[in-house]
Amino acid sequence: MEPSLGPTQAQLDSCVTCGLCLPHCPTFRLTGDEAASPRGRLMAMGAITQGTIAPDEVYAGMLSFCLQCRACEAACPSFVPFGQMMEGARARLAEVRPTTTGRVRRLLVGKLLNMKWLLALVTSGVGLVQRVGIMRLLPRRMRLARGLRRQRVFPHSAVGVHDLAPAVPAGSVALLAGCVMDQWFPAVHDATRGVLSMGGFKVDSPETQRCCGALAAHEGAERDAARMAERNVAAFQGYDYIVSDAAGCSAHLKDYGHWVEGGESVATRTRDITEFVAELIDSGQLPEVKGNGDEVAIHDPCHLRHAQRIFDAPRKIVRAAGYTPVEIDPDGLCCGAAGLYMVYEPDTAEALGEAKREQVESAGPTTVVSANPGCEIQLRAHLGRGYRVLHPIELYWEALNR
Amino acid sequence: MALVDDLRSTLGSDRVHSHPLELLVYDKDAGVTRGEAVAVVLPETTQEVAACVRIAASHGVPVVARGAGTGLAGGSVPAEPALLVVLTRLNEIWEIDEYARTAWVGAGVLNLDLSRATEHLGLHYAPDPSSQAACTVGGNVGTNAGGPHCLAEGTTVAHILGVEFVTSDGDVVMLGSKAPDPPGLDLRGVVVGSEGTLGIVTKVLVKLTENPPAVRTLLLTFDSIQAAAATVSGVIAAGIVPAALEMMDQPMVVAVEGFIGAGLPVEAAAVLLAELVGLEEGVVAEASVVERIANEAGATSVRVAADDAERAVLWKARKNAFGAVAQAAPDYYLHDTVVPRTKLAEVMTEIYEIGRRNNIQMLNVFHAGDGNLHPLVAYDAREPGMSEKVRAAAEEMVRVSVAAGGSLTGEHGVGLEKRELMGLVFEPIDLDAQARLREAFDPHGRMNPGKVLPTGARCFDFDLAGKKEVSP
Repeated sequence: MEPSLGPTQAQLDSCVTCGLCLPHCPTFRLTGDEAASPRGRLMAMGAITQGTIAPDEVYAGMLSFCLQCRACEAACPSFVPFGQMMEGARARLAEVRPTTTGRVRRLLVGKLLNMKWLLALVTSGVGLVQRVGIMRLLPRRMRLARGLRRQRVFPHSAVGVHDLAPAVPAGSVALLAGCVMDQWFPAVHDATRGVLSMGGFKVDSPETQRCCGALAAHEGAERDAARMAERNVAAFQGYDYIVSDAAGCSAHLKDYGHWVEGGESVATRTRDITEFVAELIDSGQLPEVKGNGDEVAIHDPCHLRHAQRIFDAPRKIVRAAGYTPVEIDPDGLCCGAAGLYMVYEPDTAEALGEAKREQVESAGPTTVVSANPGCEIQLRAHLGRGYRVLHPIELYWEALNR
Repeated sequence: MALVDDLRSTLGSDRVHSHPLELLVYDKDAGVTRGEAVAVVLPETTQEVAACVRIAASHGVPVVARGAGTGLAGGSVPAEPALLVVLTRLNEIWEIDEYARTAWVGAGVLNLDLSRATEHLGLHYAPDPSSQAACTVGGNVGTNAGGPHCLAEGTTVAHILGVEFVTSDGDVVMLGSKAPDPPGLDLRGVVVGSEGTLGIVTKVLVKLTENPPAVRTLLLTFDSIQAAAATVSGVIAAGIVPAALEMMDQPMVVAVEGFIGAGLPVEAAAVLLAELVGLEEGVVAEASVVERIANEAGATSVRVAADDAERAVLWKARKNAFGAVAQAAPDYYLHDTVVPRTKLAEVMTEIYEIGRRNNIQMLNVFHAGDGNLHPLVAYDAREPGMSEKVRAAAEEMVRVSVAAGGSLTGEHGVGLEKRELMGLVFEPIDLDAQARLREAFDPHGRMNPGKVLPTGARCFDFDLAGKKEVSP
């Protein structure tokens, strides 16, 4: 099956141009420019699709300026599937107007991210550089490097692990290891596996799985994304649930339905770790830990709050870990990480990151939870020393082991 | 030098758009009309706005101001090729005076952002158009915007104390002041609702309103529009002016419920959303009167919002109504007529009849309390002949409203949409007076030309001149 992304005429018709999405769009908020708004982007996609205007560098710029945070989608009363349309529009543009930059980006997210040896090599390199202490010499575009956790020089991977099953398992879980998640955030996977085992689940991380393909999809590397989805559909067969501890990945797995044959079966079984654990806490399968009620700031990753509409779960987990959740942003505007956006559009990412830093600072707490790796990197890069940034599942696992 | 070059040398190239695709995204607002801009500018200061107006004048190009583009009457859509001045970057809140309860804000500040910024002081900005999360205060001034809570609080004009204003010559003047009744002619009142035809408002001095100590929000369900309309008349006749009194008919409830999932009664023929504010005791007493009147009129159920969260959901449902229409059809067209409250049931019956006769899909959501109707037609503009059919039917609805003693527009403005219908409510001599007022501000016809006043508004010129000559 060919991916069915669009933008189709029916999808374009589903926008009545009411403009209610505008205040929810971080790039519109920054620029005040319709060309940087969801409505404007849809109008542009419409003009290109209908052939009124030929796609050129202005159109390419309009598409690539979008963070794909999907906050507009959550705000839309007419259910415009903006994220999917943007992925489709980028894929169509890549076909009709290939550029060298585009090819390099798609090569990176479509092919290189799946080469585990290469990622491991990069991770080792980062680990070494961190130890030598020359991170601050990196160019601004690579600011994300400053937000990385301390990396191992000899990285390890969760792929292929099979945790011991409890005597009477509550169900089987396939853990999506992911690409950078697996290499750069092994502690999050450890916490996820620990919590799920404690909740009574048999956890595997199947050998044959690949990167979920979210970054490839966002970049318009359509065929690569479809290929990865196909591999994962096979790899995750037979499991009751597929769990991811990266919001960007769980959101993408839930979109598999329009990417690949059998994708719907993955989509319906996928849970983000936060929603899964929050349900287990609700049903009493996982305990609430008494703590000292210290305040913890909640950062909502866009692909958790907007794409998956998960809001309560991370707060519930923080409470169950014995802390008091503190809000930082009523709208949940993007922090500017947005996958590789922080590398491609460093100025916008910088402005949004600084805005997020101000929100965290005025909220008070010095511990911040974020259920997505990109956001964590961005938050750490902007908040700097004195702040602890981690996944809510780590906070909970820590509390369970206290 | 060309217009665009001049603009670029003043604003820099980033904030001047002239590429066809960048112009295309500005060719419409939330309504249906389209119009062409020759360039789009995004100034950041009043001085930059003034400079843009002067540059456009020197090139003989008219100027159209635009906020967030949520208008429904085409007020910010150029009627002829024009320079589009987008004011969204004038988004600074300059001063909040919590004692005088006023604020100076940039024209590009979002309506809801202003209320959010004053929330900690227990104050808010009262006019609350349904698009309040997205629309700008400057745009509200342009259309003299209303909103559900304008029933008790009055429309925008009642909340604007002064404006900083760029004239058609590019001069900057201040109209109005913090004084409640400044001396001289009330030019501030003239500018509010002038839809950018007199000049461009760049800063606004607004009145802030105290948050009410107690609030009750009721969702009343009816099995006929007539019963709901009777409740509206009954409540007002009982001497109660609710903070808001909104009606939605069944097709509209079904569309918004699809988005919001608030447990709205999708089976009901009509629902009323009534909000009562004030001191706790008064609110309780008034709520029971409203409930009694509704029950007497045949309400099938009454739901009282239990807390702020439920109230917020009910209002979110109401305020997302227009946007939810794409669930029914890709295009919508609506008017904004006002009818006497006592004629509500009668006019609604006629409007449904027009819909039935023309075989068009209609959804209704409106400010029932002040008789401000929004008959909305959902359709597909690509169906041959459909747009014409819809426009003709909508015009018929306007005529019915006016014939019942009503008016053309309650809050959206005249824009391009209702320009040619102005003759329904104004005599030529009235239109002539308005045209003369406009000329006093903009003698060269530079500001948003072709809007509000129908072509030939000055057709009385000759006659009036003639009369003058013969009069002693």
